[in-house]
Amino acid sequence: MSEQHIISAFDRDLEEIQAHIMSMGGLVEDAIRNAAKSLETRDEELAQQVRKSDKAIDELEDLINEETARLIALRAPTASDLRLVLSVLKVSGNLERIGDYAKNIAKRTTVLVETAEVSGSAVALRRMAREVRSMLHDALDAYIQRDAAKAEEVIERDEEVDQMYNGLFRELLTHMAEDPRSISACMHLHFIAKNIERMGDHVTAVAEQAIYLVTGQRPTEARPKADKTSQTI
Amino acid sequence: MKPSQPKIAAKNVQVFYGDTHAIKDVSVEIEDKTVTAFIGPSGCGKSTFLRCLNRMNDTIESCRVEGDIRLDGGDIYDKRVDPVQLRAKVGMVFQKPNPFPKSIYDNVAYGPRIHGLAKSKAELDEIVEKSLRRGAIWNEVKDRLDAPGTGLSGGQQQRLCIARAIATQPEVLLMDEPCSALDPIATAQVEELIDELRERFSVIIVTHSMQQAARVSQKTAFFHLGNLVEYGETGQIFTNPTDPRTESYITGRIG
Repeated sequence: MSEQHIISAFDRDLEEIQAHIMSMGGLVEDAIRNAAKSLETRDEELAQQVRKSDKAIDELEDLINEETARLIALRAPTASDLRLVLSVLKVSGNLERIGDYAKNIAKRTTVLVETAEVSGSAVALRRMAREVRSMLHDALDAYIQRDAAKAEEVIERDEEVDQMYNGLFRELLTHMAEDPRSISACMHLHFIAKNIERMGDHVTAVAEQAIYLVTGQRPTEARPKADKTSQTI
Repeated sequence: MKPSQPKIAAKNVQVFYGDTHAIKDVSVEIEDKTVTAFIGPSGCGKSTFLRCLNRMNDTIESCRVEGDIRLDGGDIYDKRVDPVQLRAKVGMVFQKPNPFPKSIYDNVAYGPRIHGLAKSKAELDEIVEKSLRRGAIWNEVKDRLDAPGTGLSGGQQQRLCIARAIATQPEVLLMDEPCSALDPIATAQVEELIDELRERFSVIIVTHSMQQAARVSQKTAFFHLGNLVEYGETGQIFTNPTDPRTESYITGRIG
């Protein structure tokens, strides 16, 4: 819907909540990037910064909730306007969760810097985080550009993240079996990997909202479930 | 769930006012015991089409109606159909409350009298009371049935007109913007009434209030420039309309 409303203030309200989503998305991307970087470079200061900056993400979510409620009350949106407003609520919720996972990674990083490095895991986690951040970027682009095809692509890419997680899971198991002194560090690293894997699921949910916004329907195909670790012994 | 036969079936209906082609090949099936809303911008033909359904357009000299409109399978434009009898079956309520300059009682009793629906005064009294009750106005007027209908408030007048319309026990009730002259409370009362009437009749309401269409109807038809653009389940029309013209109209865009 590129046409404008007869009441231009309605357009301004809708643009505003979308602008908030985009700034929230920017903050969350930064949080993923910095959390992964602090982990890789064992930078405690940067990790602390990530933990603090989560507050701004939460505040934006509150603001979006308030403005969305106000818009529903005052403008009674219908059709694609209604879908936009509903999807804004969901997307902001997903972004907030991703922010929390980034914060948790930063928290674990401040513990990990005190332990011996577990070889190999840092590179794999960096790749995983980079992929999730890039997916988030594309999902938000798809959302704001109303590009359902692009959103589909993002959803497919989540399988890759799940596979990276599977790989890390096995790798960390091996480490722990070989060197019990690494268990504490490996447990934290595993939770970090799981956090990133969960981020991927939330990114997928954002992409699904982009599709809902464009088509009015939830994507029908069952999305690939490639996280097999829950069945791993 | 789909009823076997529509209450009203219109096929390829065309309406002309002189040279003006007001309704262009409209086909639609109106379900029984359902509220159907006709929406669309001014001049889109929704009222014209509504007026075809009880042959109100017959009274307009330059108006010509083509096509096929059936009530319970019977052609309402058949030569043997008496338009007055038809309008007892397909009642109508207008935008502006228009009570007769008579008492409240006589406003309601008028239809049953001319159609000979009551054999005695007692029977007529019963019809009047029942209609006023169904019109959700009985409690407000029961002590002054002899007072002139025109002395009531706007909202009360409109409910009186609805009571008058249902006194002949119609099967279909046509409402042409019945709430546009009413305050929100009277509007809510009429909408509640519409929902109750649905148990007995098929109600078709023309409205400019999108929210009203969304609130009261189960089916919505969107008219634009004489065409029926989209007709479907109200929930679907207001969350995910199929036609971009419907979308533009209901979301308040220039289209």
